[in-house]
Amino acid sequence: MILLDIKNLTLEIESNGVLVKALDKASLILEEGEIRALVGESGSGKSLIVKAISGALPPQWIVTADRMTWRGQNLLTMTRAERRKIMRRDIAVVFQDPVAALDPSATLQEQLTESIPEEFVAGTWFWQKRRSRLDIAHSLLHKVGIKDTEYCMAHYAHELPVDICQKFMIAMALVSQPTVLIADDPTRGMETNTKRQILSLFKNLNKTRDLSILFVSHDLVAISSMADTMTVLYCGQTVEDGPFQSVRKKPFHPYTKALMDSAPSFSPDLQPKSALIALGGTIPTLQHLPIGCRLGPRCPRAQKKCVETPVSRKINQHTYRCHFPMHLDDKGIL
Amino acid sequence: MSLLQIDQLCYQPKRPWYKLAGDDGFQLGPVSFSLEKGETISIIGENSCGKSLLAKLIVGAETPTAGRILLNGQTLENNHKTQRASNVRMVFRHSAHALNPSLSIGQMLDEPLRLNTALSAKGRSEKIFKTLKLVGLMADHFYFYKHMLSDGQQQRVALARALILDPQVIVADEPFAALDPSVRSQTVNLLLKLQKELGLAFIFISHNLGIVRHMSDRTIVMHDGQIVEMNLTQTLFLDPQHSASKQLIHAHNALLSLQ
Repeated sequence: MILLDIKNLTLEIESNGVLVKALDKASLILEEGEIRALVGESGSGKSLIVKAISGALPPQWIVTADRMTWRGQNLLTMTRAERRKIMRRDIAVVFQDPVAALDPSATLQEQLTESIPEEFVAGTWFWQKRRSRLDIAHSLLHKVGIKDTEYCMAHYAHELPVDICQKFMIAMALVSQPTVLIADDPTRGMETNTKRQILSLFKNLNKTRDLSILFVSHDLVAISSMADTMTVLYCGQTVEDGPFQSVRKKPFHPYTKALMDSAPSFSPDLQPKSALIALGGTIPTLQHLPIGCRLGPRCPRAQKKCVETPVSRKINQHTYRCHFPMHLDDKGIL
Repeated sequence: MSLLQIDQLCYQPKRPWYKLAGDDGFQLGPVSFSLEKGETISIIGENSCGKSLLAKLIVGAETPTAGRILLNGQTLENNHKTQRASNVRMVFRHSAHALNPSLSIGQMLDEPLRLNTALSAKGRSEKIFKTLKLVGLMADHFYFYKHMLSDGQQQRVALARALILDPQVIVADEPFAALDPSVRSQTVNLLLKLQKELGLAFIFISHNLGIVRHMSDRTIVMHDGQIVEMNLTQTLFLDPQHSASKQLIHAHNALLSLQ
């Protein structure tokens, strides 16, 4: 069953009297029990998609979409109360930059115990409930790999190292036993060991509790270890979408190819200290977006036609938006 | 004789005046290793194992409690800033935060030259233009401010600031952590190219083991303020000996093999 279905999501921001399309027809589908990776560089709008789903965008930004549904219910026309209910119990979000996302004025214990839903709390009297809440909190923190739970809970977010806060955010997201976890760059700045712990925790939850995960990151090694499907985003446009293995082995879009080349771990026969294959230039800023395919000015295969926005085409569950795809002949046959 | 020799370097935080006795907390070292010309050494390890501290000690941002650092057989004195600043340079972890927002790139690059060399104003600006070109920026960027540049360009400016005094050693603390994949590849290529052209030696701290394996000749594994293993990168990645390095490398391999 399809949980989250987004089609042609467009987000417009007004800057200096001009409407800028921060997201340009981004599409994304999350199925039940699936781990989907959303890959893109900073400024590509991954976090904007996450915020659009969670409803955390500023009201003056214009969101339009052909379809944006949660289990068939339209998210865009929903009342705030209904939406909050979904966000509370079904969708959990781990935001980027944990220290900034946590409440600076409350200790972590207060924040975590507050977010435990009533029905998980055992006992009738307030002291029993308190005890039960604390037990839940401790066991959750253990589960995400925080060793000194007492110490962690007694402190404020700014007093703790970033990686502890990151794990704490994950614990807080998992507390309501959601159906979907949206993790916005959960492994940033983590060392390999911790990263592996967190990723295997995600994988376990996915297997045992059928948790669907939208894994937003640009850490390809982490993605490759767990993702079933992958959506690649560049400058607010979805450029490619499909099963991870097929995208990795035969990327159609030149940008996906460049992304894959950027991780030396993916090419075992690469000579150490040899030059990596890299696209020239950098990601354009929102004020200077190129027309048509936004990769155009950096793309090695770009031609005159690329000033028109390519429509998305589909070959065996593998969608791409490019006029001159790789690994295909002129007629578009694999 | 090796280019840079670290000899029994120790660091212990000074006990605050109100504390008479007790636990002194984190201690680094003793640490010894040497670095050859044109070589890259990576330092890997868990969080808070003293990697960044070691980098700071090498560049002289912190004063070691014991031990010596020898450059070409000469001791680097901590109070002799000119000698140190012009030979061992550092690229900081978040280049975006390490650049002064109120100075233009030109002024920023001018400062080390003014303080450490006897060049005239004309000579200095020529040197700045040359360095900007070397790291792949344009002469126009002389007049730019930090906020006008993208992440990758800021990283290049940070690198230009390190390179401008023609150093022999560059210490880079997570130079790629804040960069996006495509820009990161560009920076990796740039560093490799500069190393080939100028014969620079790099000491390079990172969490990204894929990049470490690609870039470095030798790798040091640190654990709890100590060097627990040091070996050629390829050997270390294939056959780690110490438990800390085993853990790191097996974790990395496990992530890769899960594909």
